[in-house]
Amino acid sequence: MAKIKLVPLREAVEVIRDGDVLFLGSLIESRRPMAAAYEIVRQGKKGLILLAECSLAEDILVGYGCAVAWRGCYTGMANFGLSPATLRKIETGEFIADDIGHIDIILGAMAAMAGSPFVATRATLGSDVLNPDYSRVGQIRKLARDPDMIPREKFILFEDPFYGEGQVKLQPAMKADVAIIHVQQAGEEGTARVEGPLAFDHYFIHAARRVILTAEQVVPEAYLRRDPNRNQIPCTSVDMVVEIPWGGHPSQVKGFYDVDMAFIRDYVKMAKSESGFQQWVDEWVLNIESHDSYLDKLGAGNLERLRSIPPYGYRPRKTCAGIA
Amino acid sequence: MMSEKFARAGDYTAAEAMIVYGARMLAPFDGKIGIIGIGAPLLATHLAKILYCPDMKMIVETGQADADPEEVPISIMDSRLTYGSSWQMGDPEGLFPLVRGEVDFGFIGGAQIDKYGNLNSTFIGTDYNKPHKRLAGTAGAVDIGGFAKATIITMAHQKRRILEKVDYLTTPGWMVKKWPEGTMVRREEVGLPGGPIAFISSMGIMRFDDETKIMYVDRYFSGVDPKTIKENTGFDIDISRAREADPIEREELRVLREVADPLNIYRTR
Repeated sequence: MAKIKLVPLREAVEVIRDGDVLFLGSLIESRRPMAAAYEIVRQGKKGLILLAECSLAEDILVGYGCAVAWRGCYTGMANFGLSPATLRKIETGEFIADDIGHIDIILGAMAAMAGSPFVATRATLGSDVLNPDYSRVGQIRKLARDPDMIPREKFILFEDPFYGEGQVKLQPAMKADVAIIHVQQAGEEGTARVEGPLAFDHYFIHAARRVILTAEQVVPEAYLRRDPNRNQIPCTSVDMVVEIPWGGHPSQVKGFYDVDMAFIRDYVKMAKSESGFQQWVDEWVLNIESHDSYLDKLGAGNLERLRSIPPYGYRPRKTCAGIA
Repeated sequence: MMSEKFARAGDYTAAEAMIVYGARMLAPFDGKIGIIGIGAPLLATHLAKILYCPDMKMIVETGQADADPEEVPISIMDSRLTYGSSWQMGDPEGLFPLVRGEVDFGFIGGAQIDKYGNLNSTFIGTDYNKPHKRLAGTAGAVDIGGFAKATIITMAHQKRRILEKVDYLTTPGWMVKKWPEGTMVRREEVGLPGGPIAFISSMGIMRFDDETKIMYVDRYFSGVDPKTIKENTGFDIDISRAREADPIEREELRVLREVADPLNIYRTR
């Protein structure tokens, strides 16, 4: 009989161990696993090493001290500004940043999904990403629960022996202990359907030891299997499924709801100071008993004003009030 | 009474001028493929597609092919970019066309720029471990500036941003670092195609000398004295070739304010 993978959020987040390398799915302000990030804070995880970016979801983990280091390419929140807690902690030296390029992340995940230790690329040649003084992998390796999740070298330069294209960079695989991806629909066995940008998710689900899905809707697995070409995540790569409606708020989830601009602007303002961040995290994470209480606190009226409409999958500003 | 065609300096903000001239810069790229970065380039491109290059093929590093948003997106992940696209995949599919050499131009912002058009969007200061100011990171800029056939850059014109040398070389311009030594070499020497063709600031349009690849002032915006540009530039920039830019049209401002960003999400005014 097929395995049912449905678990409550608390149980799913409990598999994350202190010092794990963690990938949180999607990017910036779209389809972020926000409810899962809040639960990581509530469980007081420590020593996490983050991958890919430090944006909306990750910034809360950095601010609360759950994460110690990051390897990736972005510490911003698009139109909302830069990631406030991440900036503060990098500037005080409390949080370690190891900057790589955007393509480097993709190729690192691709190597891991292909079971290869590294791939070759010309990405970031000419830039300070290759400055040997700026490599932090040695330090980060020591912080990881399993050091072998982090490469021994950030990169190695190599002469292309095949096509004579000159200097190339050997880019090591980028592996994760746990990947948490927020999706629109998942079946009880883990098959999932994602709408909108896939970000790195279709790679990192194969580059992580454990994959947790949080889903707006859990639908019958059989329904998703009527049309497998429309599914981006196979059940064979998924360990746990959590049903959590509005679990991406305040990010946008295409087809479900638009971005909560006022909420994110408030977070960015508050999290610029340590005391403001603490106040925010108390109000919106620590003093919240359950996801239901979070939604009650937001209020049905506010949530209704975020709801997407067809055919767009977002809420048009020109015809709907209350977004901006 | 006949309405005037041109707006007067003072009718618009410096940020609006930057967006309008940025949009004009894309006019020759109608029918071409461009990869558009996060921030001001998204708004300038939105305006350009309405006014100047409706058939420009906009690709985004987050995997939208020929995006044609009805409303200005708030970020590159906004589903406003998804709806109407030919294809919506992920970051690999968004960025690999660059490295394959398929992208005619890239349009990006930054925090610092040097005289060779190298950009810094990573940190300000001298200590990477404890930066004076942490910035947004490499994002897509290193890849876009590295591999597009031409790069257009836009950012506000301030003395502390436009420098002899950037604190961290995030995005390769014309003279780049060859590692492991970090020697400054022409970008061709590390195998990079393209290079920056223009830098649109809030005061004017800078280009790069064909021979030396050093930035000079090509155009100054109406109401801006080229000497003011020199004073607000962190190196001794050549203003001898500077001419006044064609003034901003009232219609451009109307479309920017009423159609492209009616809610002022980009806070240009």
